[in-house]
Amino acid sequence: MQGEIQLEQLTKAFGEVVAVDGIELTMPAGEFFTMLGPSGCGKTTTLRMIAGFERPTSGRIVLDGVDVAHVPPHRRNVNTVFQSYALFPHLDVAGNVAFGLKYKKLSRGEERNRVAEALELVQLGDYAKRKPSQLSGGQQQRVALARALVLTPQVLLLDEPLGALDARLRKDLQVELKALQAELGITFVFVTHDQEEALTMSDRLAVMSGGHVEQVGTPREVYEEPGTVFVADFLGVSNLVSAEVVGSDGDGCALKVGESTLKALRGDTGARGAVKAMVRPERIVVLPHGSEGENCLNGLVEHTVYVGSGHEIHIRIVGGELLKATVANDGSTLDYEQGTAVCVHLPPDALRVLTDEGHTAQHEGAGEHLPSEDYDEAPGFPGRG
Amino acid sequence: MSRLRNPWGRPRFLVLVTIVYILWSLIPVAIAVLFAFNNGRSRTTWQGFSTRWFTGASGSVLHDPALQGALKHTLLLGVVCVLVATPLGVALALGLQRWRGPGGGTVNTVMLLPLVTPEIVMGVALLLLFLQVLPGIGLGSTAQAIGQVTFTLSYVVVIVRGRLVSIGKDYEEAAADLGAPPHDQLLRVLLPLLAPAIIASAAVVFAISLDDFVVTQYLSGDASTTTVSMLLYASARAAPTPALNALATIALLITLATLALAYLVYRRFAGSDDAVAMVGVEV
Amino acid sequence: MSSRWTWRLLALPGIAWLGVFFLLAFYAVVAVAFGNQNTLSEPVPFWNPLDWNVGYMLDTLQNIWNGDQFLTVFVRTFVFVAFALAFALVIGYPVAYFAARHAGRYRGLVLLLLILPFWINYLMRMLAWINLLSPDGLGTRFLSSIGIERLFISLNLLSAKGGWLEGQPFTVILALTYGYLPFLILPLFASLDRIDQRQIEAARDLGASPSGAFLRVTLPLSRPGILAGMVLIALPMFGDYYTPDLVSSSTKTSMIGNQIDQLTRQGSEKVVGAALTLILAAVLLGLMFYYLRATRSADDLQEA
Repeated sequence: MQGEIQLEQLTKAFGEVVAVDGIELTMPAGEFFTMLGPSGCGKTTTLRMIAGFERPTSGRIVLDGVDVAHVPPHRRNVNTVFQSYALFPHLDVAGNVAFGLKYKKLSRGEERNRVAEALELVQLGDYAKRKPSQLSGGQQQRVALARALVLTPQVLLLDEPLGALDARLRKDLQVELKALQAELGITFVFVTHDQEEALTMSDRLAVMSGGHVEQVGTPREVYEEPGTVFVADFLGVSNLVSAEVVGSDGDGCALKVGESTLKALRGDTGARGAVKAMVRPERIVVLPHGSEGENCLNGLVEHTVYVGSGHEIHIRIVGGELLKATVANDGSTLDYEQGTAVCVHLPPDALRVLTDEGHTAQHEGAGEHLPSEDYDEAPGFPGRG
Repeated sequence: MSRLRNPWGRPRFLVLVTIVYILWSLIPVAIAVLFAFNNGRSRTTWQGFSTRWFTGASGSVLHDPALQGALKHTLLLGVVCVLVATPLGVALALGLQRWRGPGGGTVNTVMLLPLVTPEIVMGVALLLLFLQVLPGIGLGSTAQAIGQVTFTLSYVVVIVRGRLVSIGKDYEEAAADLGAPPHDQLLRVLLPLLAPAIIASAAVVFAISLDDFVVTQYLSGDASTTTVSMLLYASARAAPTPALNALATIALLITLATLALAYLVYRRFAGSDDAVAMVGVEV
Repeated sequence: MSSRWTWRLLALPGIAWLGVFFLLAFYAVVAVAFGNQNTLSEPVPFWNPLDWNVGYMLDTLQNIWNGDQFLTVFVRTFVFVAFALAFALVIGYPVAYFAARHAGRYRGLVLLLLILPFWINYLMRMLAWINLLSPDGLGTRFLSSIGIERLFISLNLLSAKGGWLEGQPFTVILALTYGYLPFLILPLFASLDRIDQRQIEAARDLGASPSGAFLRVTLPLSRPGILAGMVLIALPMFGDYYTPDLVSSSTKTSMIGNQIDQLTRQGSEKVVGAALTLILAAVLLGLMFYYLRATRSADDLQEA
């Protein structure tokens, strides 16, 4: 299968600012691969380097065994779906889709067939003569897809392609895009800042921050077993409690939180010293005050929030930290109100030990100094904006 | 302002000032246009309607060699100026927009300077240039055309760059992504997208060239290089006939028709807000 | 070949053009002003700054310093421009304000009528007034019939009946106002139009009266536009020679532009003319810098 990308020590600096800092990534052929991260994390710059719009400061971009880092974009067999779609307003839909075929040296008839096929693929067969301005956002998005796919690229790059659409359309297109990728079997590299989108669509995703890759894995791995505090915090809602490792045995370790000692079975249980203990809100069990049992902390309900599918309970535990617990809506009213003393049970197999190793600590603030991912504002392009 | 009247209404004082100003600004010109059609030699006493000063057998724009010559020379300069300034300005705008590295800022500043330099300073500078440095060109039609190109160039750059900024870089990148080499990115994507701005700037250059006076006068040679503006300046006080009004009227109509056409083209392709900005380009 | 050079290549003809016909031309003024002249009063430019002869420049500056002819003309120019700017602002601001805020469904039409004079040949607009204000012109007769002519004579603004175009400073000032007002209104309109209606509503909501909201919100926010417009019309006014020529044609109303025009184009003494042009350019450059500083601090204010 074709379409494997390997990024080796890939770095891009805009003047003093390092947007992508020596990342190593392998995007296996035929997978739906997502780069996820907050704005300024370097995901779009990475995508633009794969497309050829930015030249790497150093490092290699290996596409099916060939380093293409310095090949100009028009000679790379990768195509892009732009966030703005960038449909040519002076050409109709067919003209847009046929744009790149001009460089494939096809016969007129063959070109027409390929355009028609591509438009069928995105269910826009009847729109060939429309101008882009006469299409809805979702339709424009499909034209952008058809225009890229008609060239049968090894890799399709998608830069937040759903960002401009409203929520409902987004959901539909997420499903369609995923199905399309499965059908075509080519590599999709997808960039988004939306963690839910990343989790639902990807075969594999890379969480990025401050120009580094924090973690790579399947959606399940990354959500269930976050490797760093950043990943835990960025994906879903996490409770992160400061703790100290006070001992360990074969399969877990003992954590000291305030005056209490908790047993944790997940994460870096071999760590020493100050760590973060992470627990998802849905795994916290709230018990009446005075309940006996291991892995319990005392706390006070600070307030409760009704969220429809359940309740979110904010609990101030001994030691001063705030925990969020969710309780599913089972039809009954909640027993707790503001000021109620409770006991919070944190199951050992839900407690994950995270050390601040890796890139998180040193780069947590760095994101704010990075340029916006918008091309306009990136340094090195004087005279714009 | 009274507290009793509708607080959301238009302040009457502002309406009055605006109406009076608009009348004051346009009625004198309207009267001058009207007297171009006067059936008599007077520019102050109405003697009936006639087109004799446009096409009459003697002394009309059509038959007076001085008037006819001035009109022809003005239009010739306008056309030459458009043909030179537009491509030069479009290329400069494209080059400046994509300029990376040092030097871009300086060129930018120099490019904008002709827009704020009083015309008399440019007139004196070009006059001395052609007399002292380039006597081979000397004064006359060529110098006039060069002078007009020098300051209309900046308008082209400003208009085209404005459009380039609103186009952004995405389309070019999309073209490259789809396999278009650099010259095709320019020819197949950028130039078609710039077409309205290019047409608009050509119209603006033409209109400015037609109305220009100072630089054109400073660089004129003999009588054959007299333009409409120069003729207006030279004969306005010299008790001329309404033929002068007729000449000015024709030039005015040509200017306004050019701009109206460009406005319509521009609005068709680039949206009405940009079109208003185009016509008010000197802001 | 890297694409960055393609783009520079594209810019090259334009840069070369501006280099020769703008920068070199301007340097020609400098070389002439610091040059010499031959016995026929023709300029002999000194291109090498090391050879420069400051004699003519010093003479010109001394002429100004001693309060001779050039100073009179400079002062007169400043007075004319100051009055014309003041009149233009007093008329132009309400008009621009109306067009930007209150024109409602007539906005397009009003804007069109405000832009129109912009594209009517300046000399034709002057010609129109010359027609009207000639001794038997419609305007002269009208002003006489409603008593304005008598009033102006009694105020010493007009020296004789029907003499509107005979060396009257007041006529020149009004002609300048009329000529350059359209160029002031558009930037004013643009800056007033940019003001967010919600900011004015916020001021009203916080208790400001309509005039209070205007004075404390609209006016300060339109200050950059006022400055930009004033500079935009002051620059060409300082270089104007045709307006006084046309509506007065008297040395009593000569402006600095007339002086330069006479010395250079009409050719009596190009070296002194070049020196005077440089002095004018320096004054205007100072004006520009003041403007840039003023707008920069205004920008800072808005960003703060």
